[in-house]
Amino acid sequence: MAKTKRLCTLLCRLMALGATISAAIVMATSHEKANFFAVSFEAKYSHTPAFKYFVIANAIVSVYGVLVLFLPSESLLWRLVVALDVVFTLLLTSSISAALAIAQVGRQGNSYAGWLPICGQVPNYCGHVKGALIAGFIGVFLYALLLLYSVHSFLDPLLLRKN
Amino acid sequence: MALETEGKTDSIFNSTAAQKRKDRILLLLRLVAFLATASATIVMALNKQTNSLVVATIGNNPIKATLTAKFQHTPAFVFFVVANGMASFHNWLILVLEIVGHKIDYKGLRLAIIAIFDMLIVVLAAAGDGAAVFMAELGKNGNSHARWNKICDKFQTFCDHGSGALIASFIGLLLLLIINVISIAKLSKPKSDNTI
Repeated sequence: MAKTKRLCTLLCRLMALGATISAAIVMATSHEKANFFAVSFEAKYSHTPAFKYFVIANAIVSVYGVLVLFLPSESLLWRLVVALDVVFTLLLTSSISAALAIAQVGRQGNSYAGWLPICGQVPNYCGHVKGALIAGFIGVFLYALLLLYSVHSFLDPLLLRKN
Repeated sequence: MALETEGKTDSIFNSTAAQKRKDRILLLLRLVAFLATASATIVMALNKQTNSLVVATIGNNPIKATLTAKFQHTPAFVFFVVANGMASFHNWLILVLEIVGHKIDYKGLRLAIIAIFDMLIVVLAAAGDGAAVFMAELGKNGNSHARWNKICDKFQTFCDHGSGALIASFIGLLLLLIINVISIAKLSKPKSDNTI
């Protein structure tokens, strides 16, 4: 039973690592140039601070994911892993929320502020960013699951002891 | 077995003075976090500015239009208000529970349930903060690559109120994170009496 649980968490962590790495890489390679009425239009992820934050956050969480995979089980550091899981889930959630907000403005514009949508001019860039955001969402979801599981495995011995 | 009884007597001596002081400090932190998130919600929800701007000039007559900047125009700010509203409601509920319903318990899981809800609310508030801060940065600096003009030079009060609400929300988030960490640390300590 413990072996299957450990296998499940390992699998979950691997998938979450894959999701965050792919989100960071896909966002970092999003680039498109378009010519629109003799005006050259270049769309890159580094033009927007929110997308830069998204790449950096996913990169940090990927590094953390790789390090956690090499942690031997039954080590005392697993308590630190629970706390760090909370902090990194926080970071991931805020990064995807920020990237989503800016991407929504890019897709639909904001008529009150006079901001025109840019997805009409650079559709490939928009599709690329959408893919990165989906990968980011999967990463957030998996990390939330891992957090709930860590809390559950943390609380289980306490509950057993109390009862 | 002997170690357990030793621990029991030790904690009984500690429970009155130090434990009560720690509980008071936790309560105080939660009160400040509640005030911070509530003020962030209210300030952003009442954020509105009307300004008449020159839109075009025909001949020698400038055409003025009255434009309003409201927080509902941006989905990120709406999410910010909703997230902070939920965070302040959660803080208020836990405050009431701690002050009034001290003995309400569910199979001894009271602290665990509070810690789990705290975690969820911290994640939600962080998401709201992240979206709103980057939206505010976009409004303040614009984005020359996407041809989006900045709006803070025309709606100064709107931007000021928005930054105030953001700062209050970040303070609330930090305090909520500290409270959550303290609650989880309290969970991991073995309790011998139920008066937590």
